[in-house]
Amino acid sequence: MMKKKSFLSLVSILLVLSLFLAACSGGSSSSSSGNKEGGETKTEGAKTDKPKDGGTITYGIDGAPEGLFEYALYGSAYDSQILEFINEGLFTYDKKLKIKSDLATWDVSGDKLTYTFKLKKGIKWHNGDPLTADDFKYTYETIADKDYTGPRYVNVEHIKGAQEYHDGKADSISGVEVVDPQTFKVTFKEVRVNNLDNLWPYPMPKKYYEGIAVKDLAESKQVRKEPIGVGPFKVKKVVASEYVQMERNDDYWKGKPHLDGVVVKVLDPSVSAGALKKGDVDIMDVRPADLGQVEKAENLDFLEGKSTSYSYIGLRFGHRDQKAGKNVDDYEKFKDLKLRQALLYAIDRKAMVKAFMNDKAVVSNTVIPSVFWIAADQKDLTKYKYSPEKAKKLLAEAGYKDKNNDGFVEDPNGKPFTISFGHYAGPANFEGRAKAIMQAWNDIGIKTKLATGSLVEFNLYNEMKDNDDKALEAFFGSWDTGSDPDPTGLWSSDAEWNYGRWVNKESDEMLKDGLSEKSFDDKYRKDVYVKWQKFFNEQLPALPLWENINIYAVNKRVKNVTLDPSTVVVDPEKWSVTE
Amino acid sequence: MLQYSLRRILGMIPMLILISFVVFSLAKMMPGDPFGGEINPSNTDPKYIEEMRDKLGYNDPIYVQYWNWVKGVAQGDLGKSTTHKLPTLDIILERMPNTIFLALTSLLITYVFAFILGMYAGRKPYTLADNFIAGYNYFALAVPSFIAGIVGIYLFSFQLGWFPFSGSVEVGLKEGSWEFIQSRIHHVILPALILGLMSTAQYTQFLRNDIIENSRKDFVRTARAKGTKESKIYNVHILRNSMIPLITFLGFDLVTIISGSIITETIFTYPGIGKLFVDSVATRDYSVMMSLTMLFSILTLVGNLVADLLYGVADPRIRLD
Repeated sequence: MMKKKSFLSLVSILLVLSLFLAACSGGSSSSSSGNKEGGETKTEGAKTDKPKDGGTITYGIDGAPEGLFEYALYGSAYDSQILEFINEGLFTYDKKLKIKSDLATWDVSGDKLTYTFKLKKGIKWHNGDPLTADDFKYTYETIADKDYTGPRYVNVEHIKGAQEYHDGKADSISGVEVVDPQTFKVTFKEVRVNNLDNLWPYPMPKKYYEGIAVKDLAESKQVRKEPIGVGPFKVKKVVASEYVQMERNDDYWKGKPHLDGVVVKVLDPSVSAGALKKGDVDIMDVRPADLGQVEKAENLDFLEGKSTSYSYIGLRFGHRDQKAGKNVDDYEKFKDLKLRQALLYAIDRKAMVKAFMNDKAVVSNTVIPSVFWIAADQKDLTKYKYSPEKAKKLLAEAGYKDKNNDGFVEDPNGKPFTISFGHYAGPANFEGRAKAIMQAWNDIGIKTKLATGSLVEFNLYNEMKDNDDKALEAFFGSWDTGSDPDPTGLWSSDAEWNYGRWVNKESDEMLKDGLSEKSFDDKYRKDVYVKWQKFFNEQLPALPLWENINIYAVNKRVKNVTLDPSTVVVDPEKWSVTE
Repeated sequence: MLQYSLRRILGMIPMLILISFVVFSLAKMMPGDPFGGEINPSNTDPKYIEEMRDKLGYNDPIYVQYWNWVKGVAQGDLGKSTTHKLPTLDIILERMPNTIFLALTSLLITYVFAFILGMYAGRKPYTLADNFIAGYNYFALAVPSFIAGIVGIYLFSFQLGWFPFSGSVEVGLKEGSWEFIQSRIHHVILPALILGLMSTAQYTQFLRNDIIENSRKDFVRTARAKGTKESKIYNVHILRNSMIPLITFLGFDLVTIISGSIITETIFTYPGIGKLFVDSVATRDYSVMMSLTMLFSILTLVGNLVADLLYGVADPRIRLD
């Protein structure tokens, strides 16, 4: 879904800070207590059956929100952390990232094109207005408006008539119909299994925004200073780049929250450890590399869970014809399957996770994070366990041999063979990470050099990827998939984000099947994606490295906090404090 | 003097045009654009990014972009921030009070300390205390401000609990109330002390050296021969002469007041111009980045002018015509 903005852009913010603060965050211990070998991680904090009412907690974020407190307009992960307290959507996701009902229940028509949503009773906006079907009609029309400035048009585009409305050829979206104040129908252009996943779920308050032109919405006081929603907490005061103070919403439809209020406070990463230990901040996410600074603190509990993001090494197979919008398969270097397998066997991923991420990541052999219900069982996949011998053997089989005795292999035609590997700049441990990968390849006899000679500044790195820079033959990358499990946007042959430019018909067919009408059956759909993952795992068009783990530090005085793959703000109305 | 100022101001115009060239080309030469990092297949599609690039004119020829920008700036329209989705001017004005408040406080601290230290060291050069002062100054100059900031926070916030470690004001206070003002001052002290005390070196050592030099001059000997009190010689005769080189710094201080301190603001989460500037570079927020660079350039030019004018005030021997 759309809860998180790009993991990358979050990283980029961290990266910039780290340019200045690299020295401050040093000294993080590399030893980690309690290694859990495949053990369960703790996703639920201390419970209490009799939560006390009252009290305020502070939720720390390590970068400033942009100040767009409206789901349809926000772009930064920091803003979304505040939005999670104040607004809700038609549906939400369970721990396996399957859709579950929230503000509404729905029925699907026989032809699977029309969804009828029925809003639950008694839901009110923070200003007292009832939530109605009109609010949703307004929301879809705002997002489809040609003056709309946010990035969510893609989430209404698949509604019938949205395109015509967007182009100014219609006065309303023909696929959205208000039946009565509690009921509305959405009709999609075509039958696709992820129509609902991709539908924009968050309502906008029509009455409250009345009189504001769509193009001025992002600058309006109603969005920036006095935002409202239907969630458990309402905004009391916004101080730009510093904090957002929220108070309890007594009329919350799921019942009155226990806490009096929540303050979301911006903190520099360099002081967050101290603030957590001192109790000035109650909940905050902790980067794996920084865990050593806080994990011994007695006042803190740690929740951790697998996230929806993973890291991989991309391999170049071609370039993108930007005009035609197609990826072209024309780069021969990694054509040999055995070579690709050897490259993965050569890397000791487990040791890297330990050395660079405090053991807080899970080695993975697929590009669908294991939290998804469609994820293949790692047991069914080839594990590519670290084995330099096997890597060397595979290379030899493929004809990569050291013919001139310089210690490095030549390609089957006897020509020198080198790989140019790229990695972006960031915290100090990125340097080590990049070196470790290059060393691993050098060790099996493949001469590997660092693209451009040093880690590449993040913006430049993205530009190089966009332009298919030949220096990036192999490159480090990370994706956060969001909650739609469909990998089409990342790995299908013509996807723009398929940076390795891997073109493969067989894979495309499977991905298409996963969205077809047959896939409305969950079991069928899962089988398709498992098959695709096995195919990917066997073909290795990119080398999967690991899945990232989210870690949150929670002060022991806060009870009933749980973690799901995308956030720790799950039912904050249930949170309470002990004193 | 008026004529001189006018002439100088007119002279700035070609300079500013040149600067605008440099600022614009450097900004556009940076790899990437505001949409470079925004790639999440689940919520932004390539079409949106292309559409926005088109809307914002990033696909226009470079001279058209430059002309549009210059035209806007000349009419007082600094453009719109792509990150904050607000007019650039609003964002800058929002941050300005914080930055000015912090900078003035820290400058005040610097001035007071540097004056006391410099005058003492100049009067008693080559003594133990003078060496100690010089030692402190160079130590402070050598310590990077992010280390000083972190150590300060660790000691005074986490260990002693005297000062808050982040933000510019306590949560939830009403603007304009007495508690609000108190809280603002409470929040500014630690960053200001760290900024102020760490940058006394140049002022102190300049003042000291000038006092030593002046104290050997003929007019001082004459004053001594006349029997003028030693304290009057130092505090009036020498000090006035020794101030002149410091005026040069004053020009630069004007920029410091506005430009803020990147690192201190970041560590203390004190929202000001410095932090805004780094963030805008990182996110390629062109309009904010270019406006701030232009602002700093203009202030540097104005600061130099002010310094030149002040030379005339401080030293009647200097004439400005």
